[in-house]
Amino acid sequence: MKLLFSIVTSAAVLVSGSAFADSSDTKVALVPGGPHPYFAAWERAGQDAVKDFGLGKADYKVPAEWDLSQQNELIESLVGKGYNAVLVFPGDAVGTNKILGELDDAGIPTAALAGCVEQPTKAKMCFGTDTGHSAYLGTKQLIDAMGGKGKIAHFTGFLVDPNTTLRIKAVEKAVAEAGGGVEIIQVIADIDAYEPADEKINAFMAAQGGEVDGIVTTAWVPAVVAAQALTNMGDKRIKMVGIDHDEVVLTAIKDGFVHGTMLQNPYGQGYIGSYAMDKIRGGCTFKADAPWKATAQTDQFIDSGTVFVDSSDVDTYVDAMRGISLEILKTFEDDFLDC
Amino acid sequence: MAALFKKDWFGLLIVVIVSGLAIAVLKPAFLSPFNLYVLMVSISYMLIIALAQMIIIAIGQMNLSVGAIGGLVAISFSGLMEVQQVSVPVAVLIGLIIGMLCGFLNGYITVRSGISAFIITLATLYIFKGINLGITEAEPFYNIPETVKNFGNAKIGNTPIPFLIIIPIIITFLMWIFMNRTETGRHMLAYGNSVQSAELIGISSSKVVITAHVISGFLAAIAGMLVVCRLQLGTPNIGDSWLLPSFAAPVIGGAILAGGKVDVIATSLGVLIVAIISQALVIFKIDPFFVQIFLGVMILLAVFVNRYREYKQEARRKIFSSE
Repeated sequence: MKLLFSIVTSAAVLVSGSAFADSSDTKVALVPGGPHPYFAAWERAGQDAVKDFGLGKADYKVPAEWDLSQQNELIESLVGKGYNAVLVFPGDAVGTNKILGELDDAGIPTAALAGCVEQPTKAKMCFGTDTGHSAYLGTKQLIDAMGGKGKIAHFTGFLVDPNTTLRIKAVEKAVAEAGGGVEIIQVIADIDAYEPADEKINAFMAAQGGEVDGIVTTAWVPAVVAAQALTNMGDKRIKMVGIDHDEVVLTAIKDGFVHGTMLQNPYGQGYIGSYAMDKIRGGCTFKADAPWKATAQTDQFIDSGTVFVDSSDVDTYVDAMRGISLEILKTFEDDFLDC
Repeated sequence: MAALFKKDWFGLLIVVIVSGLAIAVLKPAFLSPFNLYVLMVSISYMLIIALAQMIIIAIGQMNLSVGAIGGLVAISFSGLMEVQQVSVPVAVLIGLIIGMLCGFLNGYITVRSGISAFIITLATLYIFKGINLGITEAEPFYNIPETVKNFGNAKIGNTPIPFLIIIPIIITFLMWIFMNRTETGRHMLAYGNSVQSAELIGISSSKVVITAHVISGFLAAIAGMLVVCRLQLGTPNIGDSWLLPSFAAPVIGGAILAGGKVDVIATSLGVLIVAIISQALVIFKIDPFFVQIFLGVMILLAVFVNRYREYKQEARRKIFSSE
């Protein structure tokens, strides 16, 4: 199977051009770990990258479900169809390295987007949100909105996701810096499905809604459900800072039930990721002394940026995301690439 | 009292009462109207999901596609209303038909192929989920009509009772009648107990299996639509987390996975126990890294209490029969 895959990938590279190809030969596959609205912006990002950088293709292809083997099969079939650069949200931080290694052996550059793979890896970079930093900044915003004192709850995602621990620690750090006026009264995790999130967040509201002053959410589903719960309760006393750009959260910000949200930059990940893959195919290499950040998984991490949006700029949040992307793009080649 | 003690669900009722009282004493907020409302809301759709699995367990099979059917109906229901501007009653009707068709497909393929329903529903799980994702491309439907949203959040008068629980209560009652008082319900239990014996006395295997799967699909469809009412959006993830809870409640309620023995009331109490435990873990602020341990231990305790009652009952029966 591996031999067949290598033959197919090598043939794909030969057909699509040499290692130093024109941009029009670059065909990027943007492959998330599975279906999730967070990644939807990758589609537009790919289209814009084709238009702005003259790429041959930059297509968003979604595995049918969150399953590493399905993701690997999809990548193999895309390479068989002629895609010669792959941007992937790792289905598994370790397991995804195998296929990335095979692609690299076949001359196909890859990068991890929105989430990293563990080193050692053949991925050229990890380009995603500094999740800990985002949680830290979001909590800081919440503490400011609460007037620097009060009790907060933290709702977050899968415990098996290494980012969850980073987020929990980041929230604790921001609270510790508040000088004793702020206390975390509860952390509720593992609520990345809507039904358990609805049950647990509303149970929390019922039991402790009266004593909590602020809520910070650091995962998509808890943010949606908590925003919905506050809206249903009609509660504007409890301040909440969410994450991401689900319509429910954005509407709750406009209606005054949610203070704001920490936007990640999926658009920029797809747009700049496609640009970077084209540059690598064109003969550029990543600088060893580039201003990489280090995470628990890799020391070749690039922060795709995060921005706080509240009621004053919620209507123009797309511009905010584009603004971050253009800012990163402006210095990307000079900072990270040797061309 | 002696008659009550013999009921399958009696031990579970004791667990519910004792645990409810214990939590209320330690945390009075447990009995607050808002908390009771939240508890009833979470029970409402979980009850129907558990019954959708229970009826398949009754015939000695498993339905792995319960959540996928619920999810497909949920996005069809919300998509029809948002994109096609279909009225709510028509969307509900189409949702129910989709659920029953999915169930029929499960039952029909199982009967015609002779392959285990476990395998068939594993395959259809992917098919139904695939259709769901093909329709939505992982994007939720947000524009749910106000009437649907209101139904999902309204209470009956000034009570903490959600409107949402009315349908599950009616369905539970109808399911109890179906399983205990109708010929088809009894045929299902007989079939689950022994396929050969059931066929020898003239019970139609295909009728029993297909009917059970159609009812299961129908119930999953209702649960999917109730979740849309509650969440006020139709997201493709609805149903993804249903599989384990759908088995947990019937099994806590004493159902035998090999078939032939299920109890609607005990299953309902199983749902209530899981919901109370989940709430207790939040109310007592259990460390998130230890929540699953507590949940597992509490479910085991509930099952042991019920099994202990059965053991005592069996021992007493042996004493009487030896006399």
